[in-house]
Amino acid sequence: MSEKQTPDSVIRLEAVGLTKRYEDGVLALDHISFSVAAGQIYAMLGGNGAGKTTTINLFLNLIEPTEGEARINGIVTHKEPLKAKKNVAFVSENVMLYGNFTALQNLEFFSRIGGKTAYTRDDFRDILLRVGLPATVHHKRLKEYSKGMRQKCGIAIAIAKSAPAILLDEPTAGLDPKAGYDFLRLLETLRNEGKAILMSTHDIFRAKEVADVVAIMDSGRIIMQQPATALVGQDLENLYMHHMAGRTAALRQEQASC
Amino acid sequence: MLKILIEKEIRDIIGSTKFVITFAVCAVLVLLSFYSGAANYTNARAQYEAAQRENLLRYEGTTDWESVDNMRALLPPEPLAALVAGVSNDIGGTIEVEARGELQAEGSKYAQEPVLASFRLLDLEFLFQVILSLFAIMLGYDAISGEKERGTLRLTFANAVSRATFIMGKLLGSLAALILPLLGAIALGCIILVLFQMPLSGQDWGRLVLIIFTGLLYCSVFLALAVMVSALTHRSSSSFLMLLVIWVAAVMIVPRASVLLAGRAVEVPTMDEIGSQKTAYSAQLWQEDRKKITGFTSTKTGDIQAIMDELNEFMSSIADERDRKMKEFAGRLNEERSNRLRQRQALALAFARLSPAASLSLAMSTLAGTSLGTENNFLSSASAYQQTFADFVEEKNGGIAGGRMVRVKISSGEEEPSATPVNLQEIPAFTYAPIPLSAAFTAAVVDMGLLVLLTMVFFAVAWIGFMRYDLR
Repeated sequence: MSEKQTPDSVIRLEAVGLTKRYEDGVLALDHISFSVAAGQIYAMLGGNGAGKTTTINLFLNLIEPTEGEARINGIVTHKEPLKAKKNVAFVSENVMLYGNFTALQNLEFFSRIGGKTAYTRDDFRDILLRVGLPATVHHKRLKEYSKGMRQKCGIAIAIAKSAPAILLDEPTAGLDPKAGYDFLRLLETLRNEGKAILMSTHDIFRAKEVADVVAIMDSGRIIMQQPATALVGQDLENLYMHHMAGRTAALRQEQASC
Repeated sequence: MLKILIEKEIRDIIGSTKFVITFAVCAVLVLLSFYSGAANYTNARAQYEAAQRENLLRYEGTTDWESVDNMRALLPPEPLAALVAGVSNDIGGTIEVEARGELQAEGSKYAQEPVLASFRLLDLEFLFQVILSLFAIMLGYDAISGEKERGTLRLTFANAVSRATFIMGKLLGSLAALILPLLGAIALGCIILVLFQMPLSGQDWGRLVLIIFTGLLYCSVFLALAVMVSALTHRSSSSFLMLLVIWVAAVMIVPRASVLLAGRAVEVPTMDEIGSQKTAYSAQLWQEDRKKITGFTSTKTGDIQAIMDELNEFMSSIADERDRKMKEFAGRLNEERSNRLRQRQALALAFARLSPAASLSLAMSTLAGTSLGTENNFLSSASAYQQTFADFVEEKNGGIAGGRMVRVKISSGEEEPSATPVNLQEIPAFTYAPIPLSAAFTAAVVDMGLLVLLTMVFFAVAWIGFMRYDLR
């Protein structure tokens, strides 16, 4: 499954000493560094507040780093945000999209602001079919869509941008098993097309199923990072649980001392 | 990029159920206000014409110019007053004009039909001030916060979109989505005016265009405000609540409070106080004149006609003198009062202009010719007419029956039954000169400027707010 994963692959996404301290003093991200090459899926695992979403927000330049850099295709996001963002597509958790627009209209709008103006209606239809939205729903307004269908539309938007890197923020949250399964297959085909994919998730089972590299994050740090091939299913689950348990114990201790 | 964003904004707004419903209601109300305006005008016109006929009819068959001692100056209904009522229903529409004496407008529409006063009319001003400003808020309250809630803000900014372009697209797009459909409804309303054959002159159309422009400016103030608040909040529900509070304060409270405040700040004598002062002075003058009349002795002897003529002349001269003094006294009192009133009004307006609703009212009514100045304008038209009428009466009678005193006339029996009715068409007709468009525009431009300024300020704050907005 990882024949594309060669050491000399082009690095598409890279975090170098990435740090974010909010104005209220909270250290959300503490000098993390990693890279995602073309044709690679990098999964960030971790509980709430671990820093996964902060990392993605830094890549999208929605916030500025306190220290370090996030780079997309070698472009530093906070220095040249518009240029950097041309090279990345994004799928967020539970995005509602424009409820008054049909799937086609949503796709068309986001493609246009993504700089893809050459698409025809047929191209859009093909993309929607590809992510598993049948032609019968293409003209339905998004507010009539289920969560799973909206997520598919979100992925269609990311695919349409045909950017070399894709960021996914909790993409499988709230999806039913079938939708989750379909989603992972889609992710694999994207990886095989040479996309660099950075995904944040709570879901260790799916992470280990598709990811090439799995990282466990906590309190703004990457506490473990390993190629998925080096992990047996049991290992990862144990590692994660062990870590989470430690964290819960620490939290309890903290509360008790308060 | 900007074009794409504007296009999306328009389609997103116009495609929403919220828009369809509220716009349908607004469109119906716009049409209704044009329709009721046209109907009211037709009505008022008929009433006016009847009153004008009655004005002459009461002298029908009169053989003597002496009994034609008063004419009514009638304020003609203006087609635009039907659309922007302003004060047109509050001020008197009739002035009894005699050759001498003070003029006072009486018989306001609200006095005749009090039910109208308690519910007011559904005119364009009300529509813009209350309904369409709410409509603008409905369109704009979730402009930014709503996109954040739907996650589309993050998704949009995952692309090469700058904040400046985005907020610009928001403002221009929502403005277009507000104004274009409204213009459509208003255009339909204008067709109603044409169908009703409202006698709108070229100038009137010019006024109407300016009135509508002012209304749209006012809507853009509220739209810019709504976008501004949505760019300063993170939840559309809190943005909506804040906007409602601001709306109530601006539209409902500030204009009323300003009148109250100004009333407290500047004391103005009431009309009754002035009236009683005038009565007292008039009684005093009479007292003095009575002595003079009693002391009258004719220099003529024998010829009764000559004595009568001399008496008439004497009476007329003291009446003139009394009139002059009375006029001077009343003039002074009135001037003092109107100075105070002006002062109070200026203060009230200055306070009120904190609210765009007041600016809207003032600009619209000024442009429609139904502003606060209308009554004065009517009075000065009537005053000019009084002069014409007095000259006419004097020419016909060889003198004015001063101070309503009985004019003593001796006629030899022979000429008595000549009795051909006088030609009433000879009486000069009253013409009302409305404030010309250029003057009205000059007066309204301040308020229109204020609306532009407010829009720009809100626009700017929305801009700055969004530059620092948390996009996550």
